[in-house]
Amino acid sequence: MIHTCPRCGAETNHQADKLVDPTSRAEARETTVLGGVLVAVFACPRCGWIDSRRNRAEDEG
Amino acid sequence: MPVLLGTPRKGRMSEYAARLVWSEVEKRQGVETELVDVATLPIPVDDAGEGAKDPELAETMNRADALVIVAPEYNHGYPGLLKHVLDTNLPEYIHKAAGIVGVSAGVFGGARMIQNLVPVLRELGLVTIFWDVNFTSVHSRFDEDGALLDETFLPRIEKFLDELLWMAATLRYGRENVPLGGSA
Repeated sequence: MIHTCPRCGAETNHQADKLVDPTSRAEARETTVLGGVLVAVFACPRCGWIDSRRNRAEDEG
Repeated sequence: MPVLLGTPRKGRMSEYAARLVWSEVEKRQGVETELVDVATLPIPVDDAGEGAKDPELAETMNRADALVIVAPEYNHGYPGLLKHVLDTNLPEYIHKAAGIVGVSAGVFGGARMIQNLVPVLRELGLVTIFWDVNFTSVHSRFDEDGALLDETFLPRIEKFLDELLWMAATLRYGRENVPLGGSA
């Protein structure tokens, strides 16, 4: 998963996947075997900025 | 490294503790800090979680490598507004260090509050350290102007910050260099 820093453009490090409860009916429909929604968390090695992305079910593999 | 003052209660003694810890953080070379007061944050109470996120607080937490929480113990728990504020962020906290300073008028120094807060911080992705600072009998620890009356707290704060900064530096390296499921 390639992700670039929204602040400085450097390639980030995918440092965590956090499982969170769905916050809407739409997200609840996408909840998979893990039992929630995955938030992928990225850290920029150049500027330290943290970015995240709520993964859709099909990203979970 | 922001210092979060976790109570809005009038007459709060935790403010003296927070200002003391904040001043000790400011003495650390190369560490940026600010005092964040839950009483003045523009966070709505008609929503919760990331729906109530304050952009300025989110930016502060995003830039932070560690968080100090200074909070009193109310009825053996943490202040409700502190939980409300903490819940407004999530990815900003993940794999960052957290240390807790407990405050109480009694002999436990917020120990029961800390025990209740640790699992909350864990769920938020923060990594808690094994040092706490416990301001027991807080009314006898500061004078009416907030000056510290008991200097034995200074070496305790020093050890607490030593550990917190170590954890902050280690986790920063990990966030930026160690991929999930992999190695550096």
